[in-house]
Amino acid sequence: MKYIKSFLGYSIAVVCILISIMVGPMIGLLAEPFIKTTGLRLSPNYDGGEVRQTIDHAAYQTLVHRMVFDNTLIGERKEGFVQVEWAPLAALPAHIDEEVDVNGDNQADFRLVVDTANKQSVLTPYSSWVQELEGTYRFKNSMAVRVRLKNPAR
Amino acid sequence: MAAIAQVKSRRPSLQLPVWKALLLSLPMLLISSFLWVPNLSGAGDSLALIAGIIALLGINTIFFFMLYTGKTDRYRAVMFIIIAIALPMDFIPWMIKTYGSMMLTDEIVYSGGASFCPLTMPMILIPALVKRVIIFPGELLPTMAHGAFSLMFIIWVAASLSVGMGWCSWVCLYGGWDEFFSRLRRKPLIKNIDRRWIYLPFGMLLAIVVLSAITFTPIYCEWFCPFKIATEFQAPVNLLTSIQVGIFVVLFIGLVVVLPILTRRRVQCGLFCPFGALQSFLNKINIFEVRVDLDKCSECKQCLRTCPTFSLDESSLKSGKTLITCTKCSKCIDGCPKGAAYYHIKGTSLKASPQTARILFVYAGFVLMLIFGGEIVNALYRIFKLITTGSML
Amino acid sequence: MIQGFLLGLANGTTCLVFCIPVLVPFLLGEGKSVPNNLVTLSKFLGGRLGGYLLFGLLAWATGNFLSGAAGLQIPAYAIAYIGLAILLLTVGLRAPAPPASACVVKSAPAALRRWPALLPFGMGFLAGLKICPPMLLAFTGAANSGSLLGSLLLFLAFFLGTSIYFIPLSFLGAFARLPDLRIVGRFAAVIVALYYLFSGILMFAGGV
Repeated sequence: MKYIKSFLGYSIAVVCILISIMVGPMIGLLAEPFIKTTGLRLSPNYDGGEVRQTIDHAAYQTLVHRMVFDNTLIGERKEGFVQVEWAPLAALPAHIDEEVDVNGDNQADFRLVVDTANKQSVLTPYSSWVQELEGTYRFKNSMAVRVRLKNPAR
Repeated sequence: MAAIAQVKSRRPSLQLPVWKALLLSLPMLLISSFLWVPNLSGAGDSLALIAGIIALLGINTIFFFMLYTGKTDRYRAVMFIIIAIALPMDFIPWMIKTYGSMMLTDEIVYSGGASFCPLTMPMILIPALVKRVIIFPGELLPTMAHGAFSLMFIIWVAASLSVGMGWCSWVCLYGGWDEFFSRLRRKPLIKNIDRRWIYLPFGMLLAIVVLSAITFTPIYCEWFCPFKIATEFQAPVNLLTSIQVGIFVVLFIGLVVVLPILTRRRVQCGLFCPFGALQSFLNKINIFEVRVDLDKCSECKQCLRTCPTFSLDESSLKSGKTLITCTKCSKCIDGCPKGAAYYHIKGTSLKASPQTARILFVYAGFVLMLIFGGEIVNALYRIFKLITTGSML
Repeated sequence: MIQGFLLGLANGTTCLVFCIPVLVPFLLGEGKSVPNNLVTLSKFLGGRLGGYLLFGLLAWATGNFLSGAAGLQIPAYAIAYIGLAILLLTVGLRAPAPPASACVVKSAPAALRRWPALLPFGMGFLAGLKICPPMLLAFTGAANSGSLLGSLLLFLAFFLGTSIYFIPLSFLGAFARLPDLRIVGRFAAVIVALYYLFSGILMFAGGV
């Protein structure tokens, strides 16, 4: 028993060294399968959540993300935001004037006027639960606006 | 003084003969070449190649002396400190080149451009398990940022299995700062530290895990991490973010610089870091540990006084063990006048060869050091770039 | 519910600190075996659950009242957060023994003593009613939930989170680790307090 434990101890110690050696080369092979298998994704508070609707324009697209009221609870927060994005960056006009329906009821919930060159936006809310503009952002390949919302369901 | 010298000379040594140390260093030379050369040969720049060769020779020299002299802690600390200093020397110029500054704007955050740090692990676990989301504004797969979640997670799991709490003295990208400042003075100015402070990392762990799960944000990163000073931080654009910047600057100066200098201990690592608290639980499944041979121990308590992370106390010493917070740095092993402290592999006899256990552990730990040790190559390359072109970018 | 559970988990050591002076002497005094201790503990926890659910009902009623008084909502929650922070700081920064007045259970009503089997239940119920910092925390969360069921479920989850720490008591040997747990709990209480203090002040200030 003593010798078995000893043998196991040394064997595991050697395995530890092998793990240390192999982790570097294996990272590249394991990373993608790990993310795919676990289904992990970035918090919608950072990436804006899934795109709910894509509107095609001549040279660019409007991507309306879903409303984000996420929490670790089973349930939603009282306040959140929605991200509206326009891509590709190079094809955007100097000014964008668009009415946006965020809850899919075919009624515009707010209007955005975006000066893409100066990264400025003006928000005109149509619904009572649309609060204010959080910010206008220029990403690598798109322009986005985040609008703060009150949760209409709460 | 003569008596001390006599005792020291009689102290059983872990020193190896030159030929043996060279022989045992050869596998490390092969392993480090195997891990680093493919990246170096793809660099396409002679300066990068020179930086790589110098770094490769340097780390293998350090490893050789670690084995030859038997002084694990001394040479481990050298490597650990070099990596910690190399990180900002590479990372900050990269941030400036990629984003224009080391400050994170909302645009960088919302595009997943923050580099993923392993210290976030305690905070992201519950949201990841419950909602399958990562509550950190970084990439999941490596495309743009310096470090992606998937890479850091895999490294963390592997290192936890391989060295357990040894992460804090062998792998951590930041611990070298604490280590460096704790070694500046010969003698501590503050000697008596209330032992209740060793529970702060665990209280911190509990608090940040719960608060992060409730707020869906990485609380430690936003409010408490002192090492943002060496990497990236949210731009102070309003009162809230300005307060956050002020806090981490104060924490860095206090916990990483001043208190380690005054106490000669790793205060941030031993008395604050919640990631260390998490690792100490994971330490239970690690095969390596540090033990004290009670037959040899003279109860001089030198180890209690010098342990950088407060991982020895009277009762643990009496049972010949360290506390769960032991980072396996080897400071007690190297400093014990009787050679009573030693590395041990669980399951093996307590009288089994300490040299074998030491060599096996040092191999596991040093190889893991090479993963982030790539920062040394990058830092050297940037220094050469600075000398030759006047810019580190 | 998960928030309630997590709140209970974070603050359960504080609950333990408040309840131990009552429960432990009782368990030790009874001098019974582990299975018997488990039964006693179950009765105590059952009583605590009753107290918590009653609190949940109160929290819902308060939330209902506040939702009709929009101007009072933010100041009320801000005061609750700051009050909670002060209570948590008190727990974290002073000596572990709770003041006698905070622990209603110390004076168990004479009526309970007439029915010994009900004694642990009654003690637990009264222990569940006292306002210790974690209760205030759960109270604000429950008042915010908007529904009676939500409020009760949050307190149920909170109860479950705190109760985990009580389980080792039935083995009493866990006493050896209790001083460590209490110190960890105190540190966590201070850190959580700082967060809620800041949140409460921000609420008053109307954000940054």
